[in-house]
Amino acid sequence: MDENIPVYEVTDANTRLIHLGSFGDLWRERLQSCDLTLAADAGPIQDNSYVAQDLGCTEETAAELRLICGVDALKCSENEEEDLENIPEDSSLLTLGIRKKIIDRRKETLIVERACRQETFLHELEFHAVGKRPEDAADMVDEGELVLTLNIVYPVIFRKHKEYKPYQTMLVLGSQKLTELKDAINCVSDMQIGGEFSNNPDLAPENICKDLFKSAFFYFEGVFYNDTRYPECRDISRTTIEWAESRNRGYGKFQSTKMEDYTFNDLRLKIGFPYLYCHQGDCEHIITITDIRLIHHEDCLDKTLYPLPIKRHWFWTRKCSVCSMYTARWVTVNDDLAPDDPCFFCDVCFRMLHYDTDGNKLGEFLAHPYVDPGIFN
Amino acid sequence: MGTPGLKADCETILGRFQETDSVRFEEFAAIWKDMKFSHIYFGGMRNLEMSKFAREALSVASHYFLPPYTFQIRVGALYLLYGLYNSQLCQPKQKIRVALKDWDDIEKFYQDLIGAQHLDAAYIMRQLRLSRAFHFTGMAEFLTFRSQRNQPRHVGREEFKDVRDRVQDLVTSETLEEMLNIHEHYQKTKCLISADKSQPDRSLSLVKEDYVPNLKQLLSEHVTWKLEKGKPRTKNDDEKEENEEEKEATSQESEKESSERAKTLARIKSKCYGAVTQAPKSRRHRQVLMASSESSSDCGGKNTQKSKRKRRVPRKTGTLKGAKLGKLTKKASQSKKNMPTIPEEDSTSSSSEDNFVPKRTRKN
Ligand SMILES: [Zn+2]
Ligand SMILES: [Zn+2]
Repeated sequence: MDENIPVYEVTDANTRLIHLGSFGDLWRERLQSCDLTLAADAGPIQDNSYVAQDLGCTEETAAELRLICGVDALKCSENEEEDLENIPEDSSLLTLGIRKKIIDRRKETLIVERACRQETFLHELEFHAVGKRPEDAADMVDEGELVLTLNIVYPVIFRKHKEYKPYQTMLVLGSQKLTELKDAINCVSDMQIGGEFSNNPDLAPENICKDLFKSAFFYFEGVFYNDTRYPECRDISRTTIEWAESRNRGYGKFQSTKMEDYTFNDLRLKIGFPYLYCHQGDCEHIITITDIRLIHHEDCLDKTLYPLPIKRHWFWTRKCSVCSMYTARWVTVNDDLAPDDPCFFCDVCFRMLHYDTDGNKLGEFLAHPYVDPGIFN
Repeated sequence: MGTPGLKADCETILGRFQETDSVRFEEFAAIWKDMKFSHIYFGGMRNLEMSKFAREALSVASHYFLPPYTFQIRVGALYLLYGLYNSQLCQPKQKIRVALKDWDDIEKFYQDLIGAQHLDAAYIMRQLRLSRAFHFTGMAEFLTFRSQRNQPRHVGREEFKDVRDRVQDLVTSETLEEMLNIHEHYQKTKCLISADKSQPDRSLSLVKEDYVPNLKQLLSEHVTWKLEKGKPRTKNDDEKEENEEEKEATSQESEKESSERAKTLARIKSKCYGAVTQAPKSRRHRQVLMASSESSSDCGGKNTQKSKRKRRVPRKTGTLKGAKLGKLTKKASQSKKNMPTIPEEDSTSSSSEDNFVPKRTRKN
């Protein structure tokens, strides 16, 4: 068997190493244009004459097959659309019996609203770009293109949820560069604004860490892929490589190369295996390719929308402790005027409470700009 | 976590299909309708729940579509996928995931369907493919390194499986031929070094002369024995079929040279789908269709009815009401110049009392 046909290396965990581009080739050479086409309509291939040709039968037989094997042959009741919401009493299906019990139990509790809201959010995010076609034909995804599903874990450690780490999920095209993914990864630490600005809140800088510290790398299979697009980028993998090489630490030879020179199709990876993305010096994200597959005509077909986020962890937005309405923009400590320490304020309430009309600081406190993780929601 | 009951329901419908000893779609459709299987999507699931469930249902069914399940179960699974795919209420429809390593099996299966003139099954396979019901993937499942570990592996019903036959795996017609060649070569070599060039010396007679024919004989006995053993429950019309088979079998013995294995395959198939293969090849599909069109006459009328399955999207705005300030762990001694330590809030648990270890505390 071809080495680029994925099989498990560790059962149910990860595959053996495959070259992603070759994997795509293997699929494409096995399939026909009717499988790969991204046209909205499959075309005349549904006609009886084509059926007859494919199955080696007469057109009359094909017509008969169409009748016998049609989807309607499996219709279970006349008015299916009316009964959708209810579970039929007479059903012999175990699944339905169990679902009925769950629904009945759910009705008794009040958590439904919240679950519903989160679910709607998740669903809308997952499907927001499904079926989108580009306005400009040049932005159309190519037929047979690879789509990768990536889970990118947030760098937050939960004491309570050792088993569960929040992550975001993105779809990336095989022909996209690693740098395109890098630019699409949202992380709160890219948004941080360092410093204390209680004496002059207007000076809180607009430029966030993402602009200040552009260095970052991906680590896949013994290779560091560094972002070297900007002059201020530094090879932050150097330290690790030198550390590994400085004594014989048994890590073998690491290599480092340029992130912007590689597309995903160029890589040799294991599906399901945890890799690394590191930026801001020490903000580390585990990255896993959970799936690779060929693009489908009902996917988002607008190239420009990739990398496409389809799942994000729902962060509760921290509200201003004065108005309880707007998302917090400031956090104060050692604040005589605040009920809590630290305490969160929206921009309006923060200024109203802490400064007079001339902008003079009232009382003692330290103020830091605050970036809420909920801004990604 | 799998949806409880789903796998059992799939195995029930496949089990009932297995009992029919048939691969006809109309048989399957009758069971599907009797079980009201498309109701499996009922119960007002919300969008996300619905798409997850549809994905899972297709994933459960597709296991039975591949080896090691028997040809008949695989046909049943094909029909089940067809039913589950088309009756799902998601928009767009969730897709059937096919792994690259399984595709050759599926292609071969499709060729077998056409070769054996199971046109209904072949038509449905073609139909699924043309409606682009598949996602062509690396692996059939999503691989998330941590969370999937504790999920149970797929374990299907034993009686759906093709009994692995190690004897047949080991001794194929190719290996037999190979052995025959080696044996001939061996004999010739012995002749060459013998006094009488036409016959090897008696002292060189170390193996049985008729080694290969014997092995072949044993093998065909084994195949017959296996067929007897694995015979489906006898039905009234089975007897007639058996007579025909015996005739077939005797005629087979006369043609010694042709491939044993191909015949065995043909016989195994004719066993399960006797009704079809009994007819001369030219009339096979007619027979299938005539039988089907009788009982499906009532289906014709339904064609005009278009099923509209659009789920209303419960529109809820994402505004958060009454989200309280997170309870913050007050630090008794907070040094003056440190950035505040901000615990992050988690959303997944219903309790807001989560304690976190904040990862980063920056210094000014
Ligand atoms: Zn980060
Ligand atoms: Zn406010």
